[in-house]
Amino acid sequence: MVVQIDKPPAHEKSKQVHSSVTEKLTDPGWAWSAYQPDAQRPWTLAQAGHLYRRAAFGATWDQLQQALSDGPQRTLDKLLRPQADIAAFNRAYDEYSSGTGSADGLRAWWLRRMILTPHPLLEKMTLFWHSHFATNITKVKSARMTRQYIQLLRSQALNSFRAMLKGISCDPAMLIWLGAEANRKARPNENFARTLMESFTLGPGNYKEKDVQEAARAFTGWFVLRSKLRYIPREHDGNIKQILGQKGNFTGDDVIRIVLEQHATAETLVRKLYRRLICETQEPNAKLISPLAKSFAKDYDILKLAEKMLRSNLFFSAAAYRRRIKSPVEFALGIVKPLEAVISTTQLAQDLADLGQNLYEPPTVKGWTGGRHWINSSTMVGRHNLALALLQGSAPYGDKLNPWTVAKKHGCSTSESATGFLLDLFVQGDLEPDVRDNLLKPAGAPVDAGGDDSAGTVRRFAHVVVTLPEFNLA
Amino acid sequence: MSQKLGLIPALTLLVFVAQNAMAAQSLPPAIEWIPQDAVISLELTQPKALLEFLSCEKATAAITALPLYQKQASSPQFKEFFNLINFIEITLGTDWRTALAKLTGGGITFAICPEDMLILIIDAEDQDMLQKLHEIFLNMARSGADQQQVASTEFGDVTAWTFNGKESHAIIGKRLVFASSPEGLKAVLELRANSKGANLTSNSTYQKAKAAVKPDAVATIFADLKLLMQIPNIAQALEQQRQNPMTALLLAGVIETIRDSNWLALELHLKENTLDFQLSVDGKTVSTTSPVAFAIPNKPGEGILPNLSVPRRIAAFSLYRDLHSFYAAKDDLFPERTSGLIFFENMMGIFFSGRDLTNEVLIETKPEIRLVVAEQEYDPAIGTPQVKYPAVALILRLRHPDQFNEVAEEAWQKVVGLINFTRGQQAMPGLIIDRPSQGKTKYTVAYFSTTGMEDKTNLDSRFNIRPSLAMPGEYLILSSTDGLAQDLIDALHQETEQTPKPLAGTHSMVELEGGQLASILQANRKTLVQGNMVGKGSTQEQAEANIDMFISLAKFLDSAKLDISVHEGLTRAGLELKLNLQ
Repeated sequence: MVVQIDKPPAHEKSKQVHSSVTEKLTDPGWAWSAYQPDAQRPWTLAQAGHLYRRAAFGATWDQLQQALSDGPQRTLDKLLRPQADIAAFNRAYDEYSSGTGSADGLRAWWLRRMILTPHPLLEKMTLFWHSHFATNITKVKSARMTRQYIQLLRSQALNSFRAMLKGISCDPAMLIWLGAEANRKARPNENFARTLMESFTLGPGNYKEKDVQEAARAFTGWFVLRSKLRYIPREHDGNIKQILGQKGNFTGDDVIRIVLEQHATAETLVRKLYRRLICETQEPNAKLISPLAKSFAKDYDILKLAEKMLRSNLFFSAAAYRRRIKSPVEFALGIVKPLEAVISTTQLAQDLADLGQNLYEPPTVKGWTGGRHWINSSTMVGRHNLALALLQGSAPYGDKLNPWTVAKKHGCSTSESATGFLLDLFVQGDLEPDVRDNLLKPAGAPVDAGGDDSAGTVRRFAHVVVTLPEFNLA
Repeated sequence: MSQKLGLIPALTLLVFVAQNAMAAQSLPPAIEWIPQDAVISLELTQPKALLEFLSCEKATAAITALPLYQKQASSPQFKEFFNLINFIEITLGTDWRTALAKLTGGGITFAICPEDMLILIIDAEDQDMLQKLHEIFLNMARSGADQQQVASTEFGDVTAWTFNGKESHAIIGKRLVFASSPEGLKAVLELRANSKGANLTSNSTYQKAKAAVKPDAVATIFADLKLLMQIPNIAQALEQQRQNPMTALLLAGVIETIRDSNWLALELHLKENTLDFQLSVDGKTVSTTSPVAFAIPNKPGEGILPNLSVPRRIAAFSLYRDLHSFYAAKDDLFPERTSGLIFFENMMGIFFSGRDLTNEVLIETKPEIRLVVAEQEYDPAIGTPQVKYPAVALILRLRHPDQFNEVAEEAWQKVVGLINFTRGQQAMPGLIIDRPSQGKTKYTVAYFSTTGMEDKTNLDSRFNIRPSLAMPGEYLILSSTDGLAQDLIDALHQETEQTPKPLAGTHSMVELEGGQLASILQANRKTLVQGNMVGKGSTQEQAEANIDMFISLAKFLDSAKLDISVHEGLTRAGLELKLNLQ
């Protein structure tokens, strides 16, 4: 299987629409303006699917239809600020996950939360920040601390980056993971300071080794003792430090303030979010990023930044459409969510680990690299097998996911009509014509008239659809 | 309609005929119509007794109270089944219990023969009712929407029917004969025609198995083990069990005896609220030179000790296992020295200060081993864990308690010390050792302190553990909690006063208390429900229904007792299930 991620979208209509706007994409004014559908760039099922892949974990048929009816901006209103009682939902799930003392339990509950949440964008962004502020439970060795860490990320995932960074700087799980649980005046621990500058904020090349050493001095006095953060004043270096051109008797809070004052921080973060929400195949030029970075640097409001990106012409253009490779979580939930059921997330967590995305265990301090790194000959076979396990109707997932039942629920009476429905549900029918024809021609598609084997043939067809290269793209 | 027809074979099996006095004279016992090469056979000689047991008012009330039953009862399929039963009741002019008793009262015989051939023979008491019911099903099959292949053919004086072209059945007097294939029915009819033909009763293996069964059994099952052992999956499963050290320790002698046996006989007796199953096999008794001889009482009068009774007991195990002989035979039992085994021996060397595990440690234990599992009672002043584990204790009998007590105490404290050291390395709190007394027995307990904790109602799982070592008299108690250790000290004290007699010849016994099991499941209901939600993908309501069903089933079982013994050269196992029908 070859995944072509550099090609523009396949659908003919899309090709025409996208080619007509290509030249405008480099104009930040036009690129970041809110998308308004018109005759040239209509609001289609494909665009609705694109939005739900990026801002959620896929959509049900009803959600896609509602989105078509609501239009892009109203759909985005619902995704950005849902009307449901998010706080009550999260309280209930915090309570559920507090009952587990194991990493497996935490993973299972998070995946279930992703499937059922009324605010999928929040979970998606929490997952994004989990990779950005990576910690690994194998080293942290505490479900309670890991739970607190993820709650911090969730509470600020669409809120204030400043508050999130401040929280992370004194999060016990993070400090243990970075080996920074003891930061003494006599021997400042540089691990946290270095990661803060290199991975969390400024990015490589925007600081010097001396800045790291001085910042480490500012963080001295902080310890994690018996799983709790403690500050021991006598271990704090109270002398003058010079960090990123500023001089003073700085503390950790000052370091956070100083790095957030650097333009490079906002730009690095905007670029990172751009890769997640818009496109991971091409680096945006500075001209395109600059207005967003300037705006973000003022208040570090993540929701405002994400909203700008998601509502933009750029987001709904060829430059963004299917320009990301789904992570294993996105791939699996992209099958589960449209089929309107909840599966064993204990099992799913194990299977996702085999595909390279073991929640709470990102491989390095830089999190999951993502992009093309998700794809190799082994993981593609793994994705194929996971899709089969999810859709085959037997152990280990049982018959929770039943494409035929979902198709019937939405008006399909034969397996033939169900195949067209599933193409629309999973890839919004947006395939190269020859691929679509091959899939739907009698030899490839089921032809029985709703008999006993319909469920089986529809399952097999659903498996074919979700193993298409197009389905692996977000 | 198709669903109704789907029920036909099952109902047919249940519903059709047996014998009245006349028929008994005219028809030979049904077992004589079973081919000689049957691998497994079931003879339900007193179906009415079983029917009365399972359909009595108390049992019916208990079963219908089960959430699972209530859930099923509201399903469309179940309602359709009820409608069918009502229809049959009206047509036969009686209630289903009476109908079932009259239609099966003469006995039910079932056999599995080679090549997946199944034979079922049901002897009715009421021939007219049998014929009437058969007519009902014939009409239903003929009028079925899916047009099942109803057909008949003549075998001599017998009309053979089929509803689907595969199964084949016939009514002969008050007897219904059902076979999974026409060849099966043919084989039965040939045995009927030739009463001197070789049937199962002329099989010498069957005869020996039958001789081991008490004549008053409600039902008996015979299995030809030599044939069954030729099935690769069964042989492989037994071999795998034998290679696992823990399974080998627990099932020693049993696997070897089954592999060596020609036949298995299982009989069922009914007593008030109790189902009593007795199983016998004819395998040779394990010889004293066998590697698994450590599990077999060889001297007269030897055997397990009765299980210990403690408050809130969930389960109790009593085993006769000579650990010294077991470990001495480890090279024969498990020739491969795994890394796990090497690690275990290294650690034992540390804990027992270089003593030889086989000849200086395990030799100090007698073969009577007991294990007790009990629900915990938590002291609110100490705290209650969120997940409540049962307490578990191992009770060993020592040969030289005066000499061995300090050795055991030293080893135990080393284990606690190692745990504390390892936890300390990970900045985790350790165990505190104390030496309190229960009566005249001083014991050692190690515990995690909850001092300073604000919320003591929702503690970590580690607070389920208060490892304790007690050595009252000639016994050594290794318990996961001091509470259970205290109860066991009292129980052993009482037992010593009464001088318990070993259960001669018995080498394994397990007892389970349904009510207490239900109690601990109920105490952990929230955790179990949440585990079910993520484990099965259930909604909270579905998960609650699943867990409540398990709790109800546990409550339905008052108690269960399984014992395995060797008597007069035969290995016997007894399973007693006492149901809570109140």
